[in-house]
Amino acid sequence: MSNENNKAAKIFAVINIIAVMAVLFGGAAYLLILPHETVAEDENRKLASFPEFSAENYIDGSFTGGIADYFDDTVPKRGDIKRFIASDISPLKGRKYGGDEEGAELYGIAFEHKETAPTVVTTAVSVTQPVSTHTIATGSVCTSTAVTTAPIQVEEPAAEGGEINSNILVVNKRGLPLYPGGDVQGYADTINEYKQKLGDVNVWSMVVPTAGGLYMPSNYKSLAVDERNDLNEIAKGLNGAVAVDAFSVLAEHKSEEIYARTDHHWLALGAYYSAKTFTEAAGLPFKDLSSYEELHLHDYLGTFYGYTQSASLLNNPEEFVYYRPKNEETVTQYDTAFRDPLDVALLVPSGNMTPSGYYYVFGMDNRIAHVHTNTGNGRKLVIFKDSYGNALLPFLTYSFEDIYLCDMRYFDLNAINFIKQVKATDVLFSMCIFSATGPNLSCLKANLYK
Amino acid sequence: MVFSRLFFIYIFLPLCLSAYFIARGTNAKNNVLIFFSLVFYAWGEPVYIFLMLFSAAVNYFAGRLIGRFGDSGKSRLTAGLAIFTDLALLGVFKYSGFIMENINSLFSASLPVPDIRLPIGISFYTFQTISYVVDCLWENVSPQKSFRKFLLYISLFPQLVAGPIVRYSTIEKEIDQRHSSIADISCGLNRMVLGLAKKVIIADQLSTVADSLLGGIENATAAAAWAGAAVYALQIYFDFSGYSDIAIGLGRVFGFHFDENFRHPFMCKDITEFWQRWHISLGTFFRDYLLYVPIFGKRRKYGGLFLVWLCTGIWHGASWNFVIWGLYFGLFIFIETLTGKKRMKKIPLVIRHIYSKAVIIVGFGIFYFEDLGRLGTFFRKLFSTEKLIGLQDKILLMNNLYLLILAVILSFPIISGIQKLSGRFCAVRTASSLALPFVSAALLLLSSVMLVDQTSHPFLYFRF
Repeated sequence: MSNENNKAAKIFAVINIIAVMAVLFGGAAYLLILPHETVAEDENRKLASFPEFSAENYIDGSFTGGIADYFDDTVPKRGDIKRFIASDISPLKGRKYGGDEEGAELYGIAFEHKETAPTVVTTAVSVTQPVSTHTIATGSVCTSTAVTTAPIQVEEPAAEGGEINSNILVVNKRGLPLYPGGDVQGYADTINEYKQKLGDVNVWSMVVPTAGGLYMPSNYKSLAVDERNDLNEIAKGLNGAVAVDAFSVLAEHKSEEIYARTDHHWLALGAYYSAKTFTEAAGLPFKDLSSYEELHLHDYLGTFYGYTQSASLLNNPEEFVYYRPKNEETVTQYDTAFRDPLDVALLVPSGNMTPSGYYYVFGMDNRIAHVHTNTGNGRKLVIFKDSYGNALLPFLTYSFEDIYLCDMRYFDLNAINFIKQVKATDVLFSMCIFSATGPNLSCLKANLYK
Repeated sequence: MVFSRLFFIYIFLPLCLSAYFIARGTNAKNNVLIFFSLVFYAWGEPVYIFLMLFSAAVNYFAGRLIGRFGDSGKSRLTAGLAIFTDLALLGVFKYSGFIMENINSLFSASLPVPDIRLPIGISFYTFQTISYVVDCLWENVSPQKSFRKFLLYISLFPQLVAGPIVRYSTIEKEIDQRHSSIADISCGLNRMVLGLAKKVIIADQLSTVADSLLGGIENATAAAAWAGAAVYALQIYFDFSGYSDIAIGLGRVFGFHFDENFRHPFMCKDITEFWQRWHISLGTFFRDYLLYVPIFGKRRKYGGLFLVWLCTGIWHGASWNFVIWGLYFGLFIFIETLTGKKRMKKIPLVIRHIYSKAVIIVGFGIFYFEDLGRLGTFFRKLFSTEKLIGLQDKILLMNNLYLLILAVILSFPIISGIQKLSGRFCAVRTASSLALPFVSAALLLLSSVMLVDQTSHPFLYFRF
C-alpha cells in the first residue's frame, strides 16, 4: 500500500473512531445529564429507582445490579424510543401474514386446535418480572398480602402462576387473545358447589367471551378453541345456578365498540349489554345509557400494545368510552379481608387519568368494593369477578341496593361466610373465559374453604 | 455485568476507555485494566470475585513452583494439584447439584442437593488457568512472575464472562508490551459494535421466534420443530459469536490480539469442519489438553474422542441434554473419522451440506430442551407426519421473514468478502471506508435503542 493510501486509511480510521466515540460519550452524557423517566404508562408500572445501599444489598448483588437496572430502565425519552422501535423498526422483521395492512401478526406460542375442544390448558408463557418495587402478591395465585387502605393505585398486585397467556393474534388492527381451552366442567362443578352451600341465594354465572371469541376471522379460527362451545358446555354443566348468556348479546352488538382493540378487556359498552342481560334474567330494573354520563379517553393504547408493541396497534389507537351513573351512590373500599373501610369514588376521578390503562378507569382488583345505591329494593349482590367484572359495576347501580365487588384472586375470607355475613340475595360469578376455566379457577375453589 | 446492557456501554465503557487512554505506559494501562476488570466482575459477583482471586492465586503460585522445579515429578505433582483444585472448584460450583440429583435418583436416596448459584464466567476462567498451568508444565510458556500481570490475564474483562478461552501464550507478550494503533482502535471499535449488533439486533430477535416455534413443542408440527431448531441454532450463533466479537474488538482497542472464536460455522460441509469453525477456543483447548490423554491405551484415538465430546457437552451446562448434545456430535465425528477424509470428499457437496445442516439443526434442538421428556417429544415431532406445517408456523415465519433471511445471509462471510473486494478495488475501499463510520455509529445507536426496548416489562398484562 502506498504512503498516500496509508494516510487515507489512517484518516478514515480516525473519523471512524470519532464517530463511535461520539455515540459512546454522547450516550453517556444523555444518560447522566438528562432527567430520567420514572413511570412507563404503556406498561402501567413504575420504572426502577436508584437502589439504596446496604451491606446486605451489596453482598447479594442487588445494589450493583439495581444501579445497572436503574440506568437501563429509566432512559430519558424511553416511551418515544419504544414507539420508534414499534412503528419503524419492528415491522422490518417481516411481513404480515396475508400481506396487506389487515394481515396477521402472531405473538407468543400458538397451535392449531382440532374440532373437539381440548380441556387442557397449555403451558402459559411467563411475562418477565417487572423491575418495579410495587407491592406484589406473594405465594399462590389467590393469596394476597395484607393490603392497607391506601389511595387507589395505578398498578395491581401481580398474581403468580399460570394465568398469563401471552398468545395474541393481531389482525385487522385488533389484538385477539388465543383461547387454549380449559377446565369447563371444573368451573361448572365449582359454581354448583357454591349454589349447594348457599341454598336459597340466587347464584348466577355470567362467563364472558374475549375478543378472540367474537372477532376471530374465520381463516384463523383454528388457532383457538371455540369459546362459544365452551360457554355452552358450562351452561349445560350448571345445576341450580343460572347461566347468563353474555355471548349471544355481545355477538349481537359486535359491530359496536364493545371490546377494546388494543387491550385484552372489553369496553364499557360490552359490559352494559351484558349487565342488561343479567338484570333481565334476574327480573330487576335496568336503566339505559341516557341515565349515564358518557366519558372519553382519547388515543387509548391498552395491554395488547404493551405486550406486542405492534405497529398496527400503535398507529391505530382507540377511543375508550365509559359511563358514570347519574344516581347517588356511596362507595366504600376494603382490604381483601373486608377491613379498613375507605370512602372512594365509583370511578377514578378524570383528573387522575392518563390515556392508558383499563385500571385507570375501573380502579384496581385487590380491594373489596361496597357500593350502596338509592335503589331501595333490598336486593344485595356479591360479585366474584376478575378484572372484566369491574366494568360491570356502574351498570348494576340502578338494579341493586348493595353491591359487593370481590376479586376472586384477592379474597382472604371464606366466600360462603362472607355472602351470608352481608346477607346477599344474589351472587354473580362474572369473569372472562380464560379466568373461569384457567388457573384462576383454583382461586374460586379455594375461596370456598378459607 | 454483561456487555449488552446500556450501563456497560454508556457508563462503564466510556469511563474505562477514558482512564485507559489517559494512563501513560503499559504498566499504568495494565493497572487500569485490572481495576476495571475487577469492578466489572464484582458488579455481578460481589462475593464470587474472591473465588476468582483464589483461583488466580492458586494457579499463579503453581506456575511459579513449576518454573522453579523444572522438568521433574514435583512439577507434575504441582500441576496436578492445581488442575485438581481448578476442576474441584468447577465441580462444586457448577456440577454438585446435578451430581447429587442424579445420585438421589439413581439410588433412590434423599441426599441434600446443594443449591449453588453458578459464578459468572467460571467455566471460561477455569479453562484459562488450566491451560496456563499445563503450558507452564510443558514449557510452552514461561511462568508469569508478577501476580498482578497474571491477574490481568485471568480477569481481563473483555473475555472474562463469555470467552473466548484465551491462552496465556496468545497475550503473554502483549501484557508487557503493546500498542493500540489508530487502526487497532478503529477496527476494535467496529468489531465491538458488530458484536453488539449481532447480539441485540439479530440474536435477541431470533430468540422470540425460536421460543414461539419450540415453546409449545407438545403441539408443534414437524415444520415448527425443524424451523425452531434451525432458528435457535442461528440465535446461539449470533449470540455467542456476537459476544466473542465484542471481546475480540475490545481486546484490540486495548492492544490485545485474541484468536478468532468463530469462522462462519454454517459454511461447513461436515461436522468435523463445523467444530473447526464453532467455538474454536474450546475445541482447540480439548484437542490440545485432553484428546490424546493416555488413559485409553491403544484405543486412545477413539476413547479420547468420546471423552472430549462428553466434556464438551457437560462444559456447556449441568444437564443431561448437554451430555447427549456433546456425545451426539462426537458420534458423527467418530463416523466421519471412520469414513475417512477421502471418502467424505467423494460424497457430492450438496449431500454433505444437507447432511451437516440437518445434524446441526437436530443438535441445537437437543441443546434447547433441558427437559428430557420434552426432548423426546421434539424428536417425535421432527419425524411426525401428522401435520407438516400449521397456520401458526406460516404466520410466524412470514412475520419474521426478513429477519430470518438477514440472519442466514449474515451467517456467511459477507464482511470478509467486502474486505477482500476493498483490497482489490480502490472504489470499494473508498466507499466502504466512507460508509464505515456511519454504519458503525448507526449500528451502535440502533442496538442501544433496541436495548431500551428490551427493558419493556409489561406489568399485569393478561391477568384477567
